[in-house]
Amino acid sequence: MKPRDDNPCRPRHFKPGPCAPAALDSPAQQSLETSQTRLVIAGALFALAFLVIALRLVEVAGFKAGESRLARGHGVEKALASRADIVDRNGVLLATTLAAPSLYANPKQIQQNQDPRRIAQKIASVLADLNESEVYAKLTSDKSFVWLKRHLTPSEEFAVNRLGIPGLMFQSEERRVYPKGSLAAHVVGFVGIDDKGLAGIERGFDEVLRDRREPVELSLDTRLQYILRDEILRQIADFHAEGGMGLIMDVQTGEVLALVSLPDFDPNSPGTANEKTIFDRVTLGTYEMGSTFKIFNTAMALETHAATLASSFDATNPIHIAGFTIHDDHPQRRWLTVPEIFQYSSNIGSVKMALEAGTERQRDFLGRLGLLKTPAFELPEVAAPLVPAPWHTINTMTVAFGHGISVSPLQMATAVSAVVNGGVLHRATIIKHQPGSSVAGQQVMSPRTSEDMRRLLRLVVERGTGKQVHAPGYLVGGKTGTAEKVAAGRYERKGLLSSFVGAFPITDPRFLVMISIDEPHGNKQSFGFATGGWTAAPAVGRVVQRMAPLMGIQPVDEDSPEIRRSLMVDSLTPQGRTLAAN
Amino acid sequence: MIRPSTLFWTLLVAASGYAMFQVKYEVAQLDDELARVNRQIGNGREAIRVLNAEWSYLNQPTRLDQLTKRHLNLGPIQTSQIGRLDTLPRRSPTPPAAAVAAAAPSLTPSLPATAPQLSSNAIGARP
Repeated sequence: MKPRDDNPCRPRHFKPGPCAPAALDSPAQQSLETSQTRLVIAGALFALAFLVIALRLVEVAGFKAGESRLARGHGVEKALASRADIVDRNGVLLATTLAAPSLYANPKQIQQNQDPRRIAQKIASVLADLNESEVYAKLTSDKSFVWLKRHLTPSEEFAVNRLGIPGLMFQSEERRVYPKGSLAAHVVGFVGIDDKGLAGIERGFDEVLRDRREPVELSLDTRLQYILRDEILRQIADFHAEGGMGLIMDVQTGEVLALVSLPDFDPNSPGTANEKTIFDRVTLGTYEMGSTFKIFNTAMALETHAATLASSFDATNPIHIAGFTIHDDHPQRRWLTVPEIFQYSSNIGSVKMALEAGTERQRDFLGRLGLLKTPAFELPEVAAPLVPAPWHTINTMTVAFGHGISVSPLQMATAVSAVVNGGVLHRATIIKHQPGSSVAGQQVMSPRTSEDMRRLLRLVVERGTGKQVHAPGYLVGGKTGTAEKVAAGRYERKGLLSSFVGAFPITDPRFLVMISIDEPHGNKQSFGFATGGWTAAPAVGRVVQRMAPLMGIQPVDEDSPEIRRSLMVDSLTPQGRTLAAN
Repeated sequence: MIRPSTLFWTLLVAASGYAMFQVKYEVAQLDDELARVNRQIGNGREAIRVLNAEWSYLNQPTRLDQLTKRHLNLGPIQTSQIGRLDTLPRRSPTPPAAAVAAAAPSLTPSLPATAPQLSSNAIGARP
């Protein structure tokens, strides 16, 4: 029952009362009016708020978007490691981060309930590298926290858990693991105790590895890395050498497929490494490369038209200059054509070719090949070359056969790739090149010169100093080099750096293989020789034979007429061709 | 006396309150479930990482090389062991009936005797 509305002037909110007309000027009426307006405004605001809530409800309940956003907020991702993996070009794991819990104990709790001696015995039986008496000493100490072991493996963690000893606890921690050990130690590098990269890609890509989730893909191929390392190790053992280094490069892209510097270290325990093992000879070492530099000298002479394949130079007598004598290791004592100079690795002939071209053109050409400045590379350990300054005529003469200028093997390989691949210089890289995308390159010499050089390189292997490369069917072309190492400012006759740099198949080169052996000593097998042709060349041959089937390269019949023709070097009599060339 | 509308609204409030708590508990349950599944995923991923590392460790080329040398009679492929399909002599299209009859009992392969060295160098066998 409705209460009756007896008072006609009762304040009403929405309808003027029947007692109107109200006198607006009375104060009571005015305040009534104000409160009415306020009520309407407040009501409207509330209605709006409820409307917003209602709409939001409809949105949350009716559409899935809200739900998925909520679900993603929960931390599955937190379980991911804090540092990205490093893999090779085929996805083989080279570095990863694993949970490695550390074991600690609360001695007070253990002393309360159990016999510390028995527990120490149990722990030592499970964790083989712990000493029982040391564990016992720790467990009987007067502390409430002692580390027993840092960074346990998953199986150790399982074993400790199975003991079920109260008072033993784990602190979750992470650890960088290198499953391939020392195989690619210099490329991958290692991290310090705080997970900060200290060498190799770990240092060069430190920021990237921290920020990214996807693994960093290197251009390295683990299989080739192993083959190269295996063969260099064998040469080091056979020739009682100090060390060795090697590089395999894709000449079309500049990707480094294998990079070996020996002796090396295990990145899992960088504490055991020393200065010698940690030193990356390929990128951080600079060496006078010796005769392999004649590749550039000859290419320079051909490119600048200082000589043609038919030119010849007088290599009858050694050159005497400024108290030095430049002589040949395989002296022919006659005029030699350019191919012969290359084939017999004649220092005298090379010097004369360089003098014919002149200092300016020599320096300019080597500069274009990137041999005179620090190369751009992803690893932080990169050395600047040692370049003669000022560049006198005597420097021109020594540089012609690879002395008086020191470059890193990495620079050397990059430049030789450009010489054989048609004259295009690609920047060396250790990061995988995505197939399909184009590679930046710079034409540094004519394709014609490159083709001539390929024929000459083949000539060296077929008939010259590189005969010990036995890789039938794969058409290796290359150049030997034996440099005397500088020690205390003097050249040492005994301390040699013996190298071979080769490319195959030389008719259309795809890969470059370079090996240098540091201070080899001749053995019976090599008839006492320790030169590049006897130490490094056979190793390159074996590497080529092992890697070619993996890379899908078909062996060819080296004696077939087409191949013979495509690799023929014009070898008319020097006099006749010189006349023709002039 | 209670007006019907009041009764209606009271019931509605009670029902919606009940429904709300019902939903809340369901959500809490789902939350637990989600956390559990997330933990499982995390554990699974960690296990995958460990197994990947172990796979890579066990596949160290040095180790594989030693195992191969110990257990298998394999060596690096020599150039002489690689042939091309088109260098194989072609099988004669319709062998004469007599030849087939002669060949069948002794089960000799129908390759001519001039087959190249391929068959004598069993692929992969250590020379």
